[in-house]
Amino acid sequence: MDSSQLNAELRRMLGPRGVIDDPDALITYDADGCMMDTHAPQLVVLPTSTEEVVAVIKLAAQAGVPVVPRGTGTGLSGGATPMQGGIVISTARMNRVLEVDTRNNRVQVQPGVINFELSQYLKPYGYHYAPDPSSQKSCTIGGNIANNSGGPHCLKYGTTTNHVLGLEVVLSDSSVIWTGDGTPANGGYDLTGLLTGSEGTLGIVTQAWLRITRLPEAVRVVLALFPDIAGATATVSDVIACGLLPAALEIMDRLAIKAVNDMYKLGLPDTAEAALIIEVDGVEDGLDDLLQEIVGICERHGAINVRPARTPEEQTQVWAARKNAFGAMGRLAPTYHLVDTVVPRTRLPYMMEQVSRIARKYDLPIANVFHAGDGNLHPIILFDRRDPDQNERAHAAVDEVLQISIAQGGVISGEHGIGVEKLNYMPLLFSPDDLAAMQRVQRSFDPVTLLNPGKIFP
Amino acid sequence: MSVTTLSHELAAIVGNHHLLTDPADCAAYAVQGVTPALVVTPGSIEELSQVMTIAHAAGAAVVPWGGGTQQSWGYPPARLDLVVRTTRLNRVSTYKPDDVTIAVEAGITLAALNTILGRHGHMLPVDAPLPRSATLGGVLATAMDGPRRLGYGTLRDLLIGIQVVEATGRVTKAGGLVVKNVSGYDMMKLYLGSLGSLAIIVSAGFKLIPRAQAAATIGCRFATPDSAFVLIDALHAGQLTPIAVELLAQTGSTNQRGNSRLGNVAALFAGPACYGVLVPAEGLPAAVQRHVRDVTRLAEQAGAEAVQTFTDDAHADLWARVVDLPQTATIAPGELVVRLTCLPGDLAPALRDAGDIAAQHGLALLTVARALSGVAYLRLQADTADDRATAALQAWHQAMLRRRPHLTILAGAPTTKAGLSVWGAAPAGQAIMQRIKHAFDPEGRLNPGRFIV
Repeated sequence: MDSSQLNAELRRMLGPRGVIDDPDALITYDADGCMMDTHAPQLVVLPTSTEEVVAVIKLAAQAGVPVVPRGTGTGLSGGATPMQGGIVISTARMNRVLEVDTRNNRVQVQPGVINFELSQYLKPYGYHYAPDPSSQKSCTIGGNIANNSGGPHCLKYGTTTNHVLGLEVVLSDSSVIWTGDGTPANGGYDLTGLLTGSEGTLGIVTQAWLRITRLPEAVRVVLALFPDIAGATATVSDVIACGLLPAALEIMDRLAIKAVNDMYKLGLPDTAEAALIIEVDGVEDGLDDLLQEIVGICERHGAINVRPARTPEEQTQVWAARKNAFGAMGRLAPTYHLVDTVVPRTRLPYMMEQVSRIARKYDLPIANVFHAGDGNLHPIILFDRRDPDQNERAHAAVDEVLQISIAQGGVISGEHGIGVEKLNYMPLLFSPDDLAAMQRVQRSFDPVTLLNPGKIFP
Repeated sequence: MSVTTLSHELAAIVGNHHLLTDPADCAAYAVQGVTPALVVTPGSIEELSQVMTIAHAAGAAVVPWGGGTQQSWGYPPARLDLVVRTTRLNRVSTYKPDDVTIAVEAGITLAALNTILGRHGHMLPVDAPLPRSATLGGVLATAMDGPRRLGYGTLRDLLIGIQVVEATGRVTKAGGLVVKNVSGYDMMKLYLGSLGSLAIIVSAGFKLIPRAQAAATIGCRFATPDSAFVLIDALHAGQLTPIAVELLAQTGSTNQRGNSRLGNVAALFAGPACYGVLVPAEGLPAAVQRHVRDVTRLAEQAGAEAVQTFTDDAHADLWARVVDLPQTATIAPGELVVRLTCLPGDLAPALRDAGDIAAQHGLALLTVARALSGVAYLRLQADTADDRATAALQAWHQAMLRRRPHLTILAGAPTTKAGLSVWGAAPAGQAIMQRIKHAFDPEGRLNPGRFIV
C-alpha cells in the first residue's frame, strides 16, 4: 500500500476531520515538549473510538509504517516524536469521562482526558485523581500512563502506576484486550503494570479504569523559607521522621523563587535561598498539633520565614507558585531544558552542590524545583537555543548532571520517561542482560515493532 | 539428566553441607506430593546463579523455595528435580535509614526484616501470614497481601527494585533504590506474583513507611452480614482513614480449631453464626482517638451486638493472629483454602454466594476479607476427610466458580484439587502471558506446570 492509498483509506474510515496531511500542520507534530530531536510524521490521525484505533493499526501494519501515540505533546523526553515518521495517533478526540463508580473507587476514561479536568470532574463526588504532574492543566491521562507520571503528591499517594486499575489496549496485531477492571489480581502476569510507563511501545491505550481517591477531610500546608538549601533538606528528613508521611514535600531554589515571585507578586523575601512547601492531610484531629510541630522543625533548621496556609485559598496560592514554576522560567531565559533524575533522598544536598558547580562550569544559570521527599530533582538549565555555543554548553551540562546522578545511585528518569532524549543513558544504568530481559517483554507484545519504534532501547 | 553428576557439580559450588541428596531428607521439600531429587541452599546470589547455570545445562526442573509456607499454591509441579532454597540469602544490601528505602536479599523473613526496620522507626507494612517463616522472596512470588493493604498499599505499591536469576543462571535487575522511576520497563510488576515461573527473585528494594505514633483497633460483632456491611459501607463513604477494614465470618458447624486460631478475637465469635469487623487506625494519637470514637458510633448505629477497643498488647496480639488466618503452610484434613477477588462493591453478594453454597454442601466456612479491597480468603472445612468430603469441596468450587470467576485455590488435598481449575477463569491477555513465559523460560524449567501460564 503506498502513501496516497493509505491516506485515502484512513480518510474513508475516519472522515476528513480525522486525518491531517497538510505538511504545515504536520510540522507541529514533529516534537513534544522536548525540542532536542524532531521528525515530522507522514500523517496524523484523530480517532474517536477503539474501533477506529483498531482500523488504523490494521492499515499501518499492512503498509508497514510505524505508529506513535500522542496526547497533548507535553512530554519532555521526545516519547511522542515520530522519529521514524509514520502515523501519529492523536488522542485529542478521545477525551470523554465514561463512568464514575464511587462504590468501587474507580473511573473509566478515554486516554485524551486532561489530568486536571478529571480531578475537577470528580470533585463534586468527593474524590480526586491523585497523580498531579506540574503540567496537569494540559497533559492527558494517556500520556500520564505512558510515562508513569508523578507529581508533588506522589510522595504519599504514589505515581500513576499505583492508580491504574486496568487498561483497554490495542496491540500491534490489532487485537484488543482489557487488562483489568479494578478487581484485585488473582493469577497471571501483571500486564497493566507492564503497560504503565512503557511509553506507547507495548500497546495503544484506548480506555482506562483509574483508581480515584477520597478527598481528605483536612489539609495543612506550610511554606518555609530558608537562608540555605541545607536547612530545607534537613527539615525534610526530620518531618518524615515524625511518623506521618506528608502528602508533599517540595523545594524551590533562589532562582525559581525569583521567577515565581516576579510573576505572581508573592512578596517572598529575596534573601531566601530555598522555599520548602510541606503538605500534610488526613482527618482534622491532631493535624494542627502536627502543623505546630512542623513549624518548630523548620525554625530549628534556621527558617527565616514560616507561613502556615490553613484556608484553601492560601493553599491554592502556595501551590500555584510551585506548579507554575516551570512556566515562569520563560521570564528568565528564552529556552530551558528540564532535567529529570532521581537519587536516594540523602544524596540530594550533594546533588544540589554539584548542580551549582555545573552551572558555574558551563556559565549557564540553573534553577531548581524539586520533589524533595522523593529525591526527584529537576535542574532547569536556562539558555538561548539560537546561540550554538549556549546550546552546546546546555547539552554538556545535562550530560554531567545525569552522569553524577547515576554515580550517586540515581536513575535517569523519575517521571518523564526515556523517549529519545535519554536513550544513550540506558546502557549506563542497565547491563546488556537487563536490557535483553526488557526487550523480551517488548517482543512478546509487539513482535514486529510497529509501536513507537526507536524509543527506550538504544 | 544424571542426578549423580548434577549433585557433584552442585556440591562443588555450595559444599556438601548445603546440598541434600538423601531421599528421606528431600521428602521434607516435596511440593504437593512431588519429591525433588536434590535440595540445594546456595549462600550468595553468585552461588545461586552458578547453581542455575548448572541446573540449566543438566536440564533440571527447578522449584524455588523460601520459607515453604506457600508451596501449596498452584498446580503440583509437572516435573521436579531440584529445589533451590533462598534462606541463606538473608542479608541487607543497602539500608540508609534517612533514604526511607531498603534493599535486601530475598531469603530474609518478613519478621526479621521488620525487626531491623523497627530500630529506625520504619516498617514494610505487608502483613502476609506466618511472618517468622515467610520470606520476602516467597511473598513477592505470590504477591501475597495483608489487611493493611487498604492504608499502605500492597507489595505492588512498595516494590521499587528487583534482582532476579533467570533459568539460565543469568542475573538481571530492574528499577533502583529510588521511589520514582521510569527508566525502562517496570519489570518489578512482571516478577511480582509470577510464582517463580519467569526467574528466581534474589533481592528486592522497597519504599518504606514511617511507623505511626499511635494505633488501636475497634472490634465489632454483628449478628448478620447485612448489618456488618452497613458499617463497611459507612466507612467507605466517609473520610475516616482506617488502615484496614477486616471482615471475619464463621458459619456452619462450630470450628474449634478456627476459634483457637482467633485467640482474643474469639470473644467476638460467640454463637453459631457471627460476623466480626476489625477496624485498626494508625497515626497521630488524636487521629486514632477520633477513629475509636467515630467507628464505635458507626458500629452501634449499624446494630453491632458488641464493640470493643483493642490497644497496646491486645491490639498487637489480635493482628498477629488475624494476619495468619489465610495461611497455607498447614491445612486440616478435609480443608480447602480459596481466595476470592471481586470489585469491593460486589463483596457482600459474593460472600453470600460462598456461604449459601457451603451450607448446601454441609461445609463450615471461615471468611477473612479485606472488605474495602475486594479480597477474601475462604477456609472451607468438611467434617470428614473421606471421598464424601472431597466431593463436597469440589462441588462447592465448581458451583462457586460459575458465579465468581476470580477464584484461586491456595491449598487443599491433592485429591481435592485434582481436576479443578486452580487459578480460576483464564485471564485476559493469556496469549501475551504465554509468549512472555516462553521468552523467559523456553524449556519450561522453572516451576513447570504450576502457574496459570
